[in-house]
Amino acid sequence: MRRKSIILSLLAILMTASLVLTSACTQGTKGTGEQILRVNLAGEPAQIDPNQASWAAEKSVITQVFVGLLGFNQDLSLRADVATVIPTIANEGISADGLTYTFTLRTNVTWSDDKKVTASDFVYSIKRELNPDLACAYASFYFDIVGAEAYFSATDKTDAEKTALENAVGVSAPDDETLQIKLNDPLPTFLDLMALWPVYPLREDIITQYGDSWTDPPNYIGDGPYLLTEWVHLDHMTFKPNPNYWGTKPNLAEIDFKMIADANAALAAYYNGELDISGVPVGTEKATMTNAVLSPEILRYNDLTTFAFQFNVTKPPFDNKLVRQALSCAVDRQTLIDIRGGVGKVALSWIPPGMPGYDATLGAEYAFNVTKAKELLDQAGYSDVSQLPEIKFSYSDTAGNRTIAQFLQAQMQQNLGINITLDPQESKSFQQYINAGKHMWAWFGWGADYPDPDNWLPQLFGTGAGNNHTLYSNPTFDALAAVALKELDNTTRLQDWADAQKLVMDDAPIVTMFYRERFLLVKPWVKGLKTTGMDGQVAGDMFYNEVYIAK
Amino acid sequence: MAIVANTTIGSERPHHTLWGDAWIRLRRNKLAMAGGIFIIVLALAAIFAPLITPYDFAHQDYSALLQNPSAKHWLGTDGLGRDVFARLLYGARTSLAVGIFTQLIVIGIGIPIGAIAGYAGGRVDNVLMRFVDVMYGFPDLLLVILLKAVLGGGIYQLFLAIGLVAWVNISRLVRGQILSIKSRDFISAAKVMGGTGRYITWRHLLPNSLGPIIVSITFNIPRAIFTEAALSYIGIGVRPPTPSWGAMIHDGYDVIFASWYQVFFPALAVALLMIAFTFLGDGLRDALDPKMRR
Amino acid sequence: MTRYVIRRILWLLLVLLVVSFITFSLMHLVPGGPWDREKQLAPQVVEALNRKYGLDKPFFVQYGNFLIGLLHGDLGISYSFQNRSVTQILMQGLPITATLGITAFIAAILIGISLGMAAALKQNSWIDYVSVMFSTIFASIPGFVLAILLMVVFSVLLHWLPTGGWGSVSQIIMPAFALGALPAAFIARITRASTLEVMRQDYVRTARSKGLLERVVLIRHILRNSLIPVVTIAGPEFANLVTGSVIVETIFSIPGIGRLFVQGIFARDYGLIMGSVLFYAFVIAIANMVVDILYGVIDPRIVYN
Repeated sequence: MRRKSIILSLLAILMTASLVLTSACTQGTKGTGEQILRVNLAGEPAQIDPNQASWAAEKSVITQVFVGLLGFNQDLSLRADVATVIPTIANEGISADGLTYTFTLRTNVTWSDDKKVTASDFVYSIKRELNPDLACAYASFYFDIVGAEAYFSATDKTDAEKTALENAVGVSAPDDETLQIKLNDPLPTFLDLMALWPVYPLREDIITQYGDSWTDPPNYIGDGPYLLTEWVHLDHMTFKPNPNYWGTKPNLAEIDFKMIADANAALAAYYNGELDISGVPVGTEKATMTNAVLSPEILRYNDLTTFAFQFNVTKPPFDNKLVRQALSCAVDRQTLIDIRGGVGKVALSWIPPGMPGYDATLGAEYAFNVTKAKELLDQAGYSDVSQLPEIKFSYSDTAGNRTIAQFLQAQMQQNLGINITLDPQESKSFQQYINAGKHMWAWFGWGADYPDPDNWLPQLFGTGAGNNHTLYSNPTFDALAAVALKELDNTTRLQDWADAQKLVMDDAPIVTMFYRERFLLVKPWVKGLKTTGMDGQVAGDMFYNEVYIAK
Repeated sequence: MAIVANTTIGSERPHHTLWGDAWIRLRRNKLAMAGGIFIIVLALAAIFAPLITPYDFAHQDYSALLQNPSAKHWLGTDGLGRDVFARLLYGARTSLAVGIFTQLIVIGIGIPIGAIAGYAGGRVDNVLMRFVDVMYGFPDLLLVILLKAVLGGGIYQLFLAIGLVAWVNISRLVRGQILSIKSRDFISAAKVMGGTGRYITWRHLLPNSLGPIIVSITFNIPRAIFTEAALSYIGIGVRPPTPSWGAMIHDGYDVIFASWYQVFFPALAVALLMIAFTFLGDGLRDALDPKMRR
Repeated sequence: MTRYVIRRILWLLLVLLVVSFITFSLMHLVPGGPWDREKQLAPQVVEALNRKYGLDKPFFVQYGNFLIGLLHGDLGISYSFQNRSVTQILMQGLPITATLGITAFIAAILIGISLGMAAALKQNSWIDYVSVMFSTIFASIPGFVLAILLMVVFSVLLHWLPTGGWGSVSQIIMPAFALGALPAAFIARITRASTLEVMRQDYVRTARSKGLLERVVLIRHILRNSLIPVVTIAGPEFANLVTGSVIVETIFSIPGIGRLFVQGIFARDYGLIMGSVLFYAFVIAIANMVVDILYGVIDPRIVYN
């Protein structure tokens, strides 16, 4: 009797709780009309020093407080911000040999404490980015500047030697409104690099005075539309409009960045009216779409990120191109996207849509086609798949990756009769495993640092390149890349990259799976949100000065 | 065994009575028997899962993703279109194994250390308890993660990592019990009558402290199952597609707003198993209590 | 007694030293370092980072440097919160984790002991059933499931409490409950079991037959003796509770040490890992010490010499 009644009570309680959960999805509240935007940064930014930052959350913070020489429009084309114009060879901003860049600064740009932004603020920032003692993650992006690599590599040198090397870096300010940068080699994407956060202007006097605590408000002086007024670590950040902002004044009176790490908790906070924009937990997308209240609040947009399975082409059977092509044909990408709630776009080639280099016609030959997969395996000499060596698939163990790995395992089994072993690993272990080239087959993704093929091909597929984890090596590709990296003519350059990408897709060191799509909920009163394929942690973070709250 | 060898004290009460009596009393306790039967039935269902469900725990049906319970799929399907009932049955294998094998390790290490420390006292106690303090000094999760990373993947390593960390509680509990019982009259009497240390420990101290130990173990089994869930979350749990209840709860938690069934059924399964162990543990405690033998 | 306490404190220091060395070694044995990322950093950057944080030095030099820093109260600079010292970060999280842990602990002790005691004294009554049901249910639901259930009911549906954050009384209720439910259930069961056992002891019967007031029997004999196993379990439970706040702090977005610790492990933030492990080890060691001293207070038969 007692046991039965306990079980019944237990059931009753759990059932009630479950009903509550389902009915919870029908909540809706009205906005307050106050000009406050509350979004989820998910975690504490590791770093908000522009020189040292490298993660999406950090970028979202820095973008509010700083403005660089150049910036990106919503279509990811370049825009002149602190600079008066985008330098070109025609306007003599770039020398004819492509080695000297001259930026002319606007005269009305001010810091949040009303001081004037000068070219020396940029010189200081760029040299600080390259300071070996600071060890900035993105420093290597700027190694094409004269003397940059020598200075950054001077970790073992004396202070005097470091100062000499610092002075030799090819960045100078002939006057307050002119910034000059000299390069070792022509670099067609250098302007993209100058639009990134590591070279936003910085205040030498502030950093010298406050040391590492210069990023704490109110020391965190910027030249952007907002000011960081409060930072409660691991809890939230508050931004208020910068009263001395030189550009168009923002509409919002306040932005709150909350740090809710758990995806379910973030969604609950959205329901409870504590967040205006939130992601939904992976796997919840379909239910959100069928929910009458939530479906109108869904915001979806493409992101410059591609996900793929990468082979280690030095390990049999993946040293055989035909096997790689066969496995590419054996994966039904559309079904994976269906499993993921229809979020994402089938990827048949590497460079994603929305940026130069995307080729919609590429990769169709190795799309899902089981018959062709079997033919290719036959040609490779594996008509009997039991002859294949044991295949191990490694991935960083997250809920989303677990689904993908099990899907791949089932696809291999169902379509080709190949049994693969799954090898889930904790994230850092996985990354070291991959970096050491110990894997056979692994899951990975790549997001754009800047929207150019230059950021998508040589680093990943060049022989011996830093992020080449497929260990792919093709002399033709290397030759094309060497030319394209320095080619100043944009049409020729993009054609070279198109040829290079085609080579890679034919050699199939990777099985491209899908382009990432962001799936968010936005309260109806949030207006003026402009998203791009290169947003940071929070959606639309590059244009928060245009956002407003409707009454 | 040494216990029988000492005839002067042991002769009055034959060795078998402790366990014999206990079994008789346990049989009279309906709740405990129900709990025990539930566990046995579950274990059998897990072993003979292929005879009970037509579904394979790894078979993915993309036309039936994240479905609610129906006649075809009794407990619905998961995010990859796999039958949840089949996964629960097969998952019972993993979870029961995790629960039981880790506790075997815990008992095997924790009870001897606690008993020796408590009985011997003095320097031995000090050395053992400082060792326990060092072990206890680690946050469990960190030590399990580190151990698992050092031991490598696989389910046996999982048992070992959880077991090697979880024994500390029991040893402290056993020591505490023995410290408290040691000073009671009947122990002094046994000593006066010439009982050896081992005899006293096995014959008097341990049986007298069994109650709280058993209660603690019945709680530790689901805790081990929860730990396994936490490890699945971090990415060092059971290797997919092998299901475990812990991993199912965690996967279900991720989609709790889309389909509460996904977390409900494995959580219910853990809760029921937990209740069964609780009743069985209660029954065992009463049955093994030496004072109830009169 | 005083000598005993002093000896225990000296032991404590030794324990902490051993814990720190084992953690330091294991940390360096685990595959994956702080600079391993999906997008690999340039080799020059990795070299500069190792240099900056002293990771280019031999293992024992690194450990030595850590100990020297520790003596000065300096746990080094965090890699994942790059501009702040580990000591500063931990000091910020400490009062939060402590407040949460102590609130949950006191609640768990009060609820657990009274439920367990009431259940035992009125065995097989409705109080007993409610108590058993309570402890069964809350010991059977994983903490993170309980946390999200609470959040859905009290925030999403009823709008009574905020979903997370820290700073007001309303923000401590749900996390303290989610954290304290399992220990409360455990303590209730242990109390019930041991009270039942004590009630059968000869000295209780003797006390009753001597005609002592029921209240005196209850407090002096039953309560006191049945608390011994509870005390044994309370120390570790307190430690469990403080370390258990890891998941609860993450779900309720509480800026405490537990969340830092998880982040530290994932980021291989060696300074943060060492700092938080030592903090936990210290809390646990103190809890154990208090338990052992309390034995002597509660159970006069135990003598320390």
